[in-house]
Amino acid sequence: MASNAAVPFWRAAGMTYITYSNICANLVRNCLKEPFKAESINREKVHFSLSKWADGKAQKPVLRSDQPEV
Amino acid sequence: MAMAVFRREGRRLLPSIAARPIAAIRSPLASEQEEGPLGVRSISTQVVRNRMKSVKNIQKITKAMKMVAASKLRAVQGRAENSRGLWQPFTALLGDNPSIDVKKSVVVTLSSDKGLCGGINSTVVKVSRALYKLNAGPEKEVKFVIVGEKAKAIMFRDSKNDIALSVTELNKNPLNYAQVSVLADDILKNVEFDALRIVYNKFHSVVAFLPTVATVLSPEVIEKESEIGGKLGELDSYEIEGGETKGEILQNLAEFQFSCVMFNAVLENACSEMGARMSAMDSSSRNAGEMLDRLTLTYNRTRQASITTELIEIISGASALEAAK
Repeated sequence: MASNAAVPFWRAAGMTYITYSNICANLVRNCLKEPFKAESINREKVHFSLSKWADGKAQKPVLRSDQPEV
Repeated sequence: MAMAVFRREGRRLLPSIAARPIAAIRSPLASEQEEGPLGVRSISTQVVRNRMKSVKNIQKITKAMKMVAASKLRAVQGRAENSRGLWQPFTALLGDNPSIDVKKSVVVTLSSDKGLCGGINSTVVKVSRALYKLNAGPEKEVKFVIVGEKAKAIMFRDSKNDIALSVTELNKNPLNYAQVSVLADDILKNVEFDALRIVYNKFHSVVAFLPTVATVLSPEVIEKESEIGGKLGELDSYEIEGGETKGEILQNLAEFQFSCVMFNAVLENACSEMGARMSAMDSSSRNAGEMLDRLTLTYNRTRQASITTELIEIISGASALEAAK
């Protein structure tokens, strides 16, 4: 398995297995032929806002979104 | 138009013309207004008609919301059922250990962003609080990660010091794995945990949701447990392919397990939300219908009474004239 050798490297880059597998999944999606490629890429949209809490108060929310802000 | 003139007139001449047709109406709604200040007329059919109109509008809205929830439910239900296959292998391999005793627990509470969906949000909050009580103690800390606006609003009141993260606006796009995995990644990076307990409503049917707890252990805890040889003792009998060590494998597994379990939990919860909203909207349209029936009855009775009074007035006036001749 080629990926075995890569493990320490993405770990060292501060990635989790989830990020790594997402990048791999994205690569596979990019390999698809056209109607399926656009469809599968459009399906996977990321949008949510996350805020950390400190001392019982919410900090400023961070928007995690791959779409431009409206 | 004529009514308005009448009414203005009535304010000035009220004592002299008390026996106006409308003033003569006796209805349950009218009786409490009769002792009002001078110049305030007793109930008119207008009030009831307005009320009926607003109830009818509310009923239309709730019916529309029910339809929307039903169609959204159909879309999300299939996905939720398909996603169950994602966590089942993990449970077979690593087991589900809700009773495990660890130092750092993180309770991930899943709720909806919008309301009007019955009690699903309050049940998850109740379960999360119970988990907090079970797991908190000296040298043990419990933190909350809250997904959804509603649970945040409830938890903020009594346990705001224990909230570590809150996530909202998850439902803007149709839920998908990429989104949930990014979320899972963010949660993993921002909290320290020995065990993650994900609280959500598992969808059974449109009217039945079970508040459920899924437990994801950290790799260290899994390793410890498997060495002790408890429920995870069989883990060593699996053969590991490739050159990675057991610790690495377990870390990857635990991370992937968390994102898969989260994905399923988010979908199940969205499904339950839609189901709950559907039944809530169904019962509220039914209630609006009942209310409308009652109001229609009152309205018709009032109208009939006023017609009768008018008739009596005309007849008695006529017969008085007849008698005077």
